Amino acid sequence: MDESTKRLLQRLIRRIPTQMLRTTLDKWGRLTGGQLHSMDFTQSKWALTEKLLAICEENKFAVKHITELEMIYIIDNPNQGMWYAFQLMDPEDDAHSVELTQFKEQFKSHLRELIRHVSVKMKKHTDEAVWIRIAWGDTFSRPNHMKPTYVVHSLQTPYVFVTSLTSKQKPLLSQALVLSTRYQAIKDANLSGRKLTAIRDLLMRQYHQVFPTRYPTPLAENNPAVSNQHIEREQAESAANRLQAACEAFGGGMLPQLQSAVYKLETKFRDHSNKTMTEREEPFRCVVKFASTNLLESLRHCASSGIASTPVTPLLSSIPLKGKNYFVITDNGPGPSSQMRQPQK
Amino acid sequence: MSLLKPFSKLPGLCTANILLVESEEQFQQSLADALVEETAVTVNVRLAKSLPLPMENEESRPRIDLVVFIINLTSELSFQSAEASLKYLDPGYFLGKVCFMVTNARNASVPTERLDAVRKLAASLHCPLLFAEDQTPDGVTNATERLLTILKVAAGLVPMATALYLSNLTRCTVPPDIDQPSFD
Repeated sequence: MDESTKRLLQRLIRRIPTQMLRTTLDKWGRLTGGQLHSMDFTQSKWALTEKLLAICEENKFAVKHITELEMIYIIDNPNQGMWYAFQLMDPEDDAHSVELTQFKEQFKSHLRELIRHVSVKMKKHTDEAVWIRIAWGDTFSRPNHMKPTYVVHSLQTPYVFVTSLTSKQKPLLSQALVLSTRYQAIKDANLSGRKLTAIRDLLMRQYHQVFPTRYPTPLAENNPAVSNQHIEREQAESAANRLQAACEAFGGGMLPQLQSAVYKLETKFRDHSNKTMTEREEPFRCVVKFASTNLLESLRHCASSGIASTPVTPLLSSIPLKGKNYFVITDNGPGPSSQMRQPQK
Repeated sequence: MSLLKPFSKLPGLCTANILLVESEEQFQQSLADALVEETAVTVNVRLAKSLPLPMENEESRPRIDLVVFIINLTSELSFQSAEASLKYLDPGYFLGKVCFMVTNARNASVPTERLDAVRKLAASLHCPLLFAEDQTPDGVTNATERLLTILKVAAGLVPMATALYLSNLTRCTVPPDIDQPSFD
């Protein structure tokens, strides 16, 4: 094993928490029973790294084995780093019948055509998603395995999720994806987050949806349990209405964990008490950012507790509706100053 | 305007009815759970976010003996909501049947003007101002005990004491130098 491979392994082991190390090595399956037994998982991480290095030397592992281990770890723990969503546009006629082997071959060959030194590893996960690990090199240097890009794509959906991609690599990846999936273009879906599972669930609506009903059943079970017959809530009905409107806008139950929503405003300044600013012709550019550990949960609570008025404004309800968390808002067009601002993208 | 009237209904036997008004609807829940534990008297608790109360409940609502406005000092909205609700109370309530309870007074982010404003409001209405700590069970228990003391008097269950008499003793007063800048 050469130096760079050793460094890669050391970095990887440092990254994997000790509790998960054993299960990850089991899944990897490249160590013999005896070797796995000989590893004492109560030792310090440093000692474990040294032991594992020795075992890998013994087995004469190469870079591709280490990257395999890395991929197994990332697939099981996808909720780290920043993930960005992309959407494929304008499918060709045969886009829906692209199947796995064809996609794999096409992707690898297109990417290798575009850039000579690149290392691609593809793996199909149990839930039908294809995971791709790309280590980029250039005309003169070998692929850099320290900064791989991970791409997740479910065939039959137009969505692609990417992490750790530089702006130089983006056009290459886009080209390879578009050609191998038989679509015509790819665009930024304006959705990003730390948890892959969350942004995927949001885009594919895999969380509990609440639909408007004409005759809603009393949401007695959703209200804070009024335990005692001596306690009575006076405004229970309006509270239930607010909760219903909030759940219709954002969803019921557990919501996908988004961390932020950014609104870039390019609207004219409107405040009648401030004439100097209002008279300016150019739009007043400002950026509004909402941040939270679970943004959708916070927004739903704002609506159900009355802090945000119901029906929920389209600016906020667009987040789950359109599956985006980056919006550019421009004025509706010339005309009398109206208070409604439409999200444009 | 639908005013809440203090004496338009008959009282219940050995019963006291309290109305907790809180914009955030958090503390009132734990207070209610603690208040109904009282054994000597049957305590009925009504919870509301703000006044006016809905007309639909007019029939089933018992006579309210004490109205408590819970204000979270860290939120301006809480104070404004309580202030706006005051005008839906019949003036008869302000003779000892209204009480202000304030939470988070020790919080560093609270501007002193807000506490002063609450004090002035309570003093102008001749109502007691109670400070409560809502995060711990002990705090809830203490607040409950104090409310029960006032409630029992307001419901007429304590001989020789009336709500008006008690409020004269417990009402909030503002020091004459409240508008002077303090040493912070």
